[in-house]
Amino acid sequence: MNILENVKMALSSIWANKMRSFLTMLGIIIGISSVIAVVSLGQGGQHTITGEFEKIGTNTVAINVNENNAEQSDYITFEDVRQLKEKIPYIRYATQIVRVQGWASYGTNTKMAIVVGGSGDMFRIENNEILYGRIFTDIEYEEGKAVAVIDSTTAKKLFRMEDAVGMTMDVGPKTAQKSVTIVGVIKSAYDMFAEMTDNDYIPVVVHMPATTVSHVFSLDETASQVFIMADNKENVESAGNLAVNLLENRHGNRGRDAYKAENLMKQLDQINTVVGIFTTFVAVVAAISLVVGGVGVMNIMLVSVTERTREIGIRKAIGARTGHILFQFLTESVIISCIGGILGLIFGIFGAYGLGRLAGITPHLSPGTVILAILFSSAVGIFFGIYPARKAAMLDPIEALRYE
Amino acid sequence: MIRIENVTKVYKTGAITLTALNGISLHIRPGEFVAVMGPSGCGKSTLLNILGCLDRVTSGRYILNSKDVSTLGGNELASIRNREIGFIFQSFNLLPRMTVLENVELPMIYAGVPARERREKAIEALSRVDLAERIRHRPTEISGGQMQRVAIARAIVNSPSIILADEPTGNLDSRVTEEIMKIIQKLNDEGTTILMVTHEPDVANYSERIVRMRDGRIIDDSPVQNRIIL
Ligand SMILES: Nc1ncnc2c1ncn2[C@@H]1O[C@H](COP(=O)(O)OP(=O)(O)OP(=O)(O)O)[C@@H](O)[C@H]1O
Ligand SMILES: [Mg+2]
Repeated sequence: MNILENVKMALSSIWANKMRSFLTMLGIIIGISSVIAVVSLGQGGQHTITGEFEKIGTNTVAINVNENNAEQSDYITFEDVRQLKEKIPYIRYATQIVRVQGWASYGTNTKMAIVVGGSGDMFRIENNEILYGRIFTDIEYEEGKAVAVIDSTTAKKLFRMEDAVGMTMDVGPKTAQKSVTIVGVIKSAYDMFAEMTDNDYIPVVVHMPATTVSHVFSLDETASQVFIMADNKENVESAGNLAVNLLENRHGNRGRDAYKAENLMKQLDQINTVVGIFTTFVAVVAAISLVVGGVGVMNIMLVSVTERTREIGIRKAIGARTGHILFQFLTESVIISCIGGILGLIFGIFGAYGLGRLAGITPHLSPGTVILAILFSSAVGIFFGIYPARKAAMLDPIEALRYE
Repeated sequence: MIRIENVTKVYKTGAITLTALNGISLHIRPGEFVAVMGPSGCGKSTLLNILGCLDRVTSGRYILNSKDVSTLGGNELASIRNREIGFIFQSFNLLPRMTVLENVELPMIYAGVPARERREKAIEALSRVDLAERIRHRPTEISGGQMQRVAIARAIVNSPSIILADEPTGNLDSRVTEEIMKIIQKLNDEGTTILMVTHEPDVANYSERIVRMRDGRIIDDSPVQNRIIL
């Protein structure tokens, strides 16, 4: 008896018990779809993060003040940044990054805002796409002009339009906002994300010259972070080391490990590792639900064997061997699991795209994941089908024939 | 053809042992038509099951077509049932979810006959029992007499040398009984050996030899005096 006969027979008996077969599949469907959704979202997230980092470039080094043992005098001054750019030939761009939480308002429309201070190099390093207007100039930076660059999402939230160039808004601490003019709008990295979650709990982002930020928020002209971009890949290491050296010389704090230089690609690896571990963990939890689904398959197959005892007796009487019966029932449980796996795959993909829209992640489904899901559900079918099938195959023909 | 020597069959259920067959010897020649009669519980079905290789003897020997089958394993017995024996049951024992045609094809699936040949042979077997229509219906959609004819078609489709029938007309009225017996006699005429259990003396008279049993033994074995030939 060949496989085709078996499959035909299995399909007809699955079809004869449509509702029950579907309920049996449900466990497998839920298991496989959650594994697929989790894994493809996790991989999609990794791709998104990698993309972001690659946009910033592999040549970028972040220098951070070691906050654990920092003294007031260790913080990076704006003059330090100028010196870095001037004295180290490998460095093409350098900007401090100052982040302050404040408020931005246009008329009566007030939003919580993350105000990011830096020089024009901040946009060059991040390789931002300019949609309208321009980024701020070196002179505006030097002179601490009241100008700002916002991203398209922020523009829409604050001004209800994308091209906000020339508009003015008030930025600063809640009680002491100052008026600044928008000179440019850049493309938002989280456009989709922002549209889906247009609410006041997600702050808007405002880029201003670091000098202006210090002025508006009455802060020192210091920063705890500097981004530098080397002129090419080979010089990234030396640029980072030279920069730390220069800072230590200027602050006279050599040997205290006051600064840490970190290539962003290294951070990317770390983030990817964390996301990977998290994805694996959640996928394993989801896979456990597959085992529960498998037990469901076994349960129903046992019921089915009991119900069909007489059928088994008849088949044996007319010449079915042990193997025939074994494969008949095994085929049934594998087909149930496989159909469940395929349906789960489909639901999982839909689920991943649905959740992905909410979270701003484009799911990534690799062929390996698909094959693994199908193989795994067949394996569940075999593993949990073997016991009921053996039970059927071992039935005594006479007793089975006498069963009512 | 069929030869059993001093066969016993003992059932043990817990502490109770029951001797269903108690030292039976029987010889059936090729082409014979034998009826087995006796009171309920005397061991007729037990004997038939052993002859049909569905069950094994407790002691004694069973030689089928000059081969000792008392020592064979389950799968070898399945092959013998598939190729050399055809069963007809009182309750027809058709598979309700399959069509008439599929039911008749089933023994050939286990024999490994290719699909096209299977279909042809099944239709041929069905025409031998005068059932050419309704072959794509399910067993629940046809009459009892038609169901038994399907069962006979299924029994003969692999061209077995022996047909074993356990009260084949037990569930049928007298008119249909006659139809079925006519088919069985025809099969016998064509050379098939037939062993049939029955309670009804009328039905036994269609055979040519009657074996009478009581309490697991054969008490009489004699030719039919006034045989009915249809
Ligand atoms: N599996 C079994 N376990 C225990 N006892 C059994 C088993 N099968 C049959 N018997 C007993 O063996 C005896 C013979 O049974 P069998 O079915 O052969 O009788 P029978 O002659 O066919 O009766 P009937 O005419 O009612 O069909 C009976 O007493 C029956 O109860
Ligand atoms: Mg009986």
